[in-house]
Amino acid sequence: MVDDADRVELEALTEFLYVVPVGLLTFAMNGAIRLANPLISQLLMPFVPGCDLTDAYSALAPLMPDLSRRVHEFADWLGVVVDHERCPISQGGKLTVFSVTVHRIHGGLNTAVIEDVTRSAEQERRLFEDRQRFRAIFDNVRDYAIYTADAGGRIDEWNPSLQRFGGWQEADVVGQSLSVFFPPESGSGPSMETLLDTARKTGSVETEGWGRRRDGSQAWTNTVLTVLPDADGQVRGFVGVSRDMTERKRTEDELRRLATTDPLTGAFNRRHGQDCLDAAFPRLGNSGRTPAVIMLDIDHFKSINDRFGHDTGDLALCAAVDTVTAELGDGGAVVRWGGEELLVIVQDTTPEAALELSERLRLAIAAARVAGPDGEVRMTVSIGVALDLGQGAEDAVRRADTALYEAKSGGRNRVVFGPARRVTDRKAG
Amino acid sequence: MHSTVQLLDDHHPEAAALGFDDTAMQDWLEAASAQQIDDAPFGIVAMAPDGIVVAYNKAEAAAARLNPSRVVGQHFFRSVAPCTNNALIAGRFEAGGVLDATIDYVFTLRMLPTPVRLRLLRDPAARRMYLLVERRTAHGG
Repeated sequence: MVDDADRVELEALTEFLYVVPVGLLTFAMNGAIRLANPLISQLLMPFVPGCDLTDAYSALAPLMPDLSRRVHEFADWLGVVVDHERCPISQGGKLTVFSVTVHRIHGGLNTAVIEDVTRSAEQERRLFEDRQRFRAIFDNVRDYAIYTADAGGRIDEWNPSLQRFGGWQEADVVGQSLSVFFPPESGSGPSMETLLDTARKTGSVETEGWGRRRDGSQAWTNTVLTVLPDADGQVRGFVGVSRDMTERKRTEDELRRLATTDPLTGAFNRRHGQDCLDAAFPRLGNSGRTPAVIMLDIDHFKSINDRFGHDTGDLALCAAVDTVTAELGDGGAVVRWGGEELLVIVQDTTPEAALELSERLRLAIAAARVAGPDGEVRMTVSIGVALDLGQGAEDAVRRADTALYEAKSGGRNRVVFGPARRVTDRKAG
Repeated sequence: MHSTVQLLDDHHPEAAALGFDDTAMQDWLEAASAQQIDDAPFGIVAMAPDGIVVAYNKAEAAAARLNPSRVVGQHFFRSVAPCTNNALIAGRFEAGGVLDATIDYVFTLRMLPTPVRLRLLRDPAARRMYLLVERRTAHGG
């Protein structure tokens, strides 16, 4: 006798089993279905037309034809017979994927849980395909390395593009900081930490500089680092794309050299010298620096050409440039300003230092030896010096030119400080 | 509404004799009184065109052991009989057009698989859709 309270509870239980969104059924070893909830009917009837849901093995046959064998081969008293197995069924061009789990709940009774997982299976399939697609890209790009790093910038996976890029093997890179490719000692550009910080803030960062190959050689590398966000928008890691630009860099450098230098002497040509002047001399007001120009002209150059031939003249010119370049070091730019006229541009100096440098250049050229056809040839230079007076480069060059003219007319092989102030009037021995 | 049903009842005193497969079923159901529907020897579920149950007769309530008061006003496919919420049944009703199909099916009333014959009736011109339910024996029914 079922009392009212029991009846209400049973109704609630029945309703619960009616609406539970997975298919549930129990069946005996011979397949006889004991209980099944409505979802079983909803899920299975379209695939087992005419089925009466008395036998679990025939009802589930479209999903799992060997269920009977698997249930009977499962010898334990209780346990998992089938664990969330994916069962795809195609019908009328439409794919449905079921997840099937079968438990032995005691010696003679089994339960099955059936779920329609078509949508999540489709998502998983898309994810898998995406992964395959990216894998194909990672593995097959020729001119790029593509790699990923965790949020701290540690490389988390190796792929063949790294091997082609820099000869890197899995053991060299996995777990290492990205700076393994861009060691701080290469000194080109910002540190990896700075780059990652920028990427964290802006989403991505691009940099170009010297990178390292596995064998220690350097590669001029263009790199784009992009943030990989997680589902909450936090930085989960980075994807890096690096391109070896060494050949292009070499070509560019060579083109730049050809465009900016004089082919005979290797000094900057006059056009690039003009750019150097513009860069060194401030257009307006006082920059806090005092640039200077030193104009050198080889004395009696025509006579060298006439006496020893043009080849020797060329050698003398080259020797003058080499000598000046060696004396200057990083202290200035050497420009072939005219035929046998050189212009040295100094970024920041004082009258004393400019004078001292000019003297050094004069003496060094006087000491240089040029191999002529009949023995060594020697030469001297006249020099005009001018410091910036806030009137720009053109004015300084004009005053240096005036000073040079003075040095020539004053007997050559000497330094004259422009505009009119004679600073030295020494004859070399 | 109720008085209209009474009126129709008077006009069709012979209608209760219709069998499950009768070709005139749609017209009879549209015209039948609440009492006639309740008295039918097979299960009758009448739904509004949106699937909400408007009548759930005595035979069906007894078989499903569901109280009609808990069923009327609910969405049949989603809330009352989720076992019908698939392409075979709900899908056909939702497809629109004229529908009169009889299929073998299995209900899981109180979790016991119960073989049934279903007649699916829908006419865009009618005010209600109908699902008729008749028990059949498990094998060869």
